[in-house]
Amino acid sequence: MNIKEYISSGILESYLAGELNEVEMQEVDRLAGIYPVIKQELDEMRESVSSYAKSTDQQPPSRILSKALDAIREDEKERFFAEIESSEKEVQIQRVNIVPVWSIAASILLVISLGFNYIFFTEFKSAKDRADVLQTNMESLREEQTILADLASDQKMELEYASLRIAHFLNEDNIHVRMDGLDVAPESFANVFWNKKTNSVFISVDNLPEPPHGHQYQLWAIKPGLAPIDAGIFDHSQLIQELKVIKGNVRAFAVTLEKEGGSPIATVDKTFVKGFLKKS
Amino acid sequence: MTHPVPHLTAETTVDERIVYLLFEKDKSGISLIFDHYGSFLMNVIRKVIYDEQMAEDVLMNVLLKVWQKFDQFDAEKGSLFSWLVRIAKNSAIDKTRTKDFRITEESRRGPELVNIAEEVSVDSSIDQMYLKQLLDQLPENQRELINMSFIEGFTHKEIAQKLDLPLGTVKTRIRLAIKHLRAVV
Repeated sequence: MNIKEYISSGILESYLAGELNEVEMQEVDRLAGIYPVIKQELDEMRESVSSYAKSTDQQPPSRILSKALDAIREDEKERFFAEIESSEKEVQIQRVNIVPVWSIAASILLVISLGFNYIFFTEFKSAKDRADVLQTNMESLREEQTILADLASDQKMELEYASLRIAHFLNEDNIHVRMDGLDVAPESFANVFWNKKTNSVFISVDNLPEPPHGHQYQLWAIKPGLAPIDAGIFDHSQLIQELKVIKGNVRAFAVTLEKEGGSPIATVDKTFVKGFLKKS
Repeated sequence: MTHPVPHLTAETTVDERIVYLLFEKDKSGISLIFDHYGSFLMNVIRKVIYDEQMAEDVLMNVLLKVWQKFDQFDAEKGSLFSWLVRIAKNSAIDKTRTKDFRITEESRRGPELVNIAEEVSVDSSIDQMYLKQLLDQLPENQRELINMSFIEGFTHKEIAQKLDLPLGTVKTRIRLAIKHLRAVV
């Protein structure tokens, strides 16, 4: 193909002027794709006509562009809303289509379901009532059980204390001192077991009044001619407790009420119980 | 659909730039089309629609269609220019089928053409001024030919009739006029 001849035939001018039909235009495009010379010729021609139009103020008025851009914006908006609406419609259509076909079956199913619902609900309710009763029973049983357990453990503890106390009584190594209530609390009494071999002192809290808040009972060992010796503070709630080791010539034991933590010097006028060792 | 123009470089042609922008749904692609092809498309429309206002409406519509139907553009089948021209032609023909068109049908070309130049905003950049001076070197008859063929929407046949010249001569003269124009511009 003679490209020069092709170019000089004026077909490219016709192409740009919109004189050619669709097929002819496609042919020019095809050749322009193959021959860069044709493409270049076309581009240059187009540019010069475009420049000509601009410099002779023959460009289409710019209001066309602004109107087109407005229309595009409007179109985008409409499409956006149309998309939203169509997705809404789809949902509605689905719903409408289902109704006539399935409504009867659905109604029947609904009635059956309601029937079952009633039966199940009634059963469920009575079952629930029974369960509630059982629950209450269980709870009260559990409460009783707790009480019994507490009682049992109390009794067990008491039993342990009792047997421990008896063991102390029966222990031949122990010196037993019964301390009786003085004027402060005449009803009170307590027992001391003093092991001759180990010199350890046990107290049995038998009947001492509840110490006031912030106070504790303290046991004292009394030797002739000396100030009472601290034999240890003890817990009022525990029946049998091992206290300090006391050696020597003890004549008596006494319990005073002291401030919590005990005192190095016995508050003698707060002596609750006192007992002397039997002279052997 | 893969991106027809993946990257923009300094060597990217106007067409590639437009395709890139429109593929990215960037409206400035439409502005570029208007800038580079506006007069060509208006020319195509004027071949069918003689009423200036209506032609403007059609061009506006063409730009909207380009935006809406850009996914139909296939660079394998032809150039962007051909695609735009086809849309412009079809839109113009569609317009002739409207009632709106038939009412205004009577207003034939003539005085409106004078108005076109007056309506257009004057771009008075230095380049344009310079170009105008250069264009003064173009003989009047060549300018007339360029105007008729590329701007005002006359077909070659119509030009031949109007100037009372053979069709072949018209084509040759248009070609010469363009050659001259390119030498000047």
